[in-house]
Amino acid sequence: MSTIDYLAHGLATAMQWHNVVFVFLGVLIGTVVGVLPGIGPMSGVALLIPITATMTGGLGPEEAATSSIILLAGVYYGAMYGGSTTSILLNTPGESSSVVTTLDGYQMAKQGRAGAALAISAIGSFAAGIISLIGLIFLAQPLSAVAIKFGPAEYFSLMVLGLLAISGLAGKSMVKALMMTAFGLLLATIGIDSVSGVERFTFGMPELYQGLEFLTIAVGMFAVGEVFKTILERENSDGEIAKINRILPTKQDMKESAGPIARGSVLGFFIGLLPGAGAILASFFSYVMEKKLSKNPEKFGKGAIAGVAAPESANNAASGGAMIPLLTMGIPSSGTTAILMGAFIMYNVQPGPLLFQDHPQLAWGVIASMFVGNLMLLILNMPLVKLFAKVIETPAKYLIPLIIVFSVFGVYAVQYSTFDLLLIMACGIIGYVLSKNDFPLAPLVLGLILGPMMENNMRRALTISNGDFMIFLQKPVSLAFLIIGVLWISIPLLLKLRGKKVIINEEG
Amino acid sequence: MNFSFDRYAGIVFCAIGIAFMIGSRSITASSYGSNVGANIFPMFLGGFLSLMSVRLIYETFRKQQHKSKSNLDYKRFGIIFTAAVLYAFFLEDIGFVISTFLFLLIGFQTMERGKVWKSVLIAACFSYGVYYLFVNVLDGSLPGFPAWLGIS
Repeated sequence: MSTIDYLAHGLATAMQWHNVVFVFLGVLIGTVVGVLPGIGPMSGVALLIPITATMTGGLGPEEAATSSIILLAGVYYGAMYGGSTTSILLNTPGESSSVVTTLDGYQMAKQGRAGAALAISAIGSFAAGIISLIGLIFLAQPLSAVAIKFGPAEYFSLMVLGLLAISGLAGKSMVKALMMTAFGLLLATIGIDSVSGVERFTFGMPELYQGLEFLTIAVGMFAVGEVFKTILERENSDGEIAKINRILPTKQDMKESAGPIARGSVLGFFIGLLPGAGAILASFFSYVMEKKLSKNPEKFGKGAIAGVAAPESANNAASGGAMIPLLTMGIPSSGTTAILMGAFIMYNVQPGPLLFQDHPQLAWGVIASMFVGNLMLLILNMPLVKLFAKVIETPAKYLIPLIIVFSVFGVYAVQYSTFDLLLIMACGIIGYVLSKNDFPLAPLVLGLILGPMMENNMRRALTISNGDFMIFLQKPVSLAFLIIGVLWISIPLLLKLRGKKVIINEEG
Repeated sequence: MNFSFDRYAGIVFCAIGIAFMIGSRSITASSYGSNVGANIFPMFLGGFLSLMSVRLIYETFRKQQHKSKSNLDYKRFGIIFTAAVLYAFFLEDIGFVISTFLFLLIGFQTMERGKVWKSVLIAACFSYGVYYLFVNVLDGSLPGFPAWLGIS
């Protein structure tokens, strides 16, 4: 079957009425998650995994996985839309990839052009979503065709590359990021070893035999940790919410932003493909690029519409691009895609080259649903933007305790154990303390998810080579991955030594 | 950046790394005739983690410390955190609806005093609403009301 046939089948899956409902719920919740400061896409997706698991309980395993992933992916890209709303209206980004949007977006709002800024960011996000989807469709098959030829040695090195890339770009200190990665991988070894059946680091505690569940750790670290931060630091957003007058942008606005949207989408898509880069870097780079290309760069920072259009398109395109390494190779390239991957694994679906062969309905259903979802987001965001602006005013008084309840409820609904509930509280404190002191959390969760796969591949490769570690250097593809990984870590270090400023990616 | 925290964190993570290395020595080294056992991966990573921690501790000595003042609301956090731990601990004993209601009420009132009736109403609606939706509509399973209450 050709790609078009698969896509048509996927569209048929995505248009089943229950899946349409799931897409709608996903993008709606995603937008709200993006709008609310305090929950980002990572905690949003993590909190929704158990709820979707229950909602899809009545379906067959394959359909349940498809519907859940459709909803969770909707939350992911929906949050990218919603994040811009608070940036523009309040000057506080709802999630970290909309930081750049505040520069020009809030200025536009002050000039009474809030409606135009919101509309352009919705249109830009839509265009970017579609462009990155087209990229996804064309790259998915060839990439998985390449990835399927990888042996365990190549896979191990690819994962090393992914982890190094994320550590190299996450947070202010690379040493801390590498520590967090190693710690996450170590936590993943707790429990019964899946190859030999030996118990490791369980200290005889029955709760530890099945290992630490990634969902518990992710919910604790991100959702509960973020809540604890808000309680402790009394974040008061006393900024005035800007008024929205007219929503439709003028012809002049459209003309000025068409170029930035196109360039931002393409750039964002390719940055999203890179492991470790992701939405924040994409929005930042596209802003800088537009400023360089612009005929009157002095307008940037004073309400240039291109300064809203480009980063908003780029961060959405990057979130689409980030799905490619996840779906085709099974390597998540950011914190949120790592959590999505955890959801795949919970449904016993292994993302990777075999995904398109073994579960074509799921893979193409999810891709097609992203078309539907982006369309829904455009429709939702244009007329309803005033309603979403109201969501910002949800008092923290009610929001904070409710997020804790959702975390407890969500984890209990999947794990049924008091041990896991106490663990999320502990993780909340640890997560808060660590992230406050610039220890990035995304590498930890990524390590926790990739750990078992990485270890299995390493041991398979070593069994093939009879315990000789040189196998990772003898296979050319594996060697190339390792070299790229080392370069990824060492080039920023060299630049730093020469006194250059290095841009970093701060997600969670 | 808080360097004294980094130093302590470095020491703790170094200890964790060493503990994993020591722990992995007691795991059998070979399985099914292969000479690659379950111990190599954690052993190597433990070593890597302690190395990185040593590097972090070294960095804290090299750089100057500059203090930043922070104003943290420990009282509010203490109450909500204790309530959350108790909530997690007693969830199975007293059931989802009652524990959630109590936790929400304490949480709402700690975040901001006043409007008690509104808090009671929201907490009650939410705790029972989620329970009803999850158990009766979605057929999920949650601890219901305690048996001695005699409701169900």
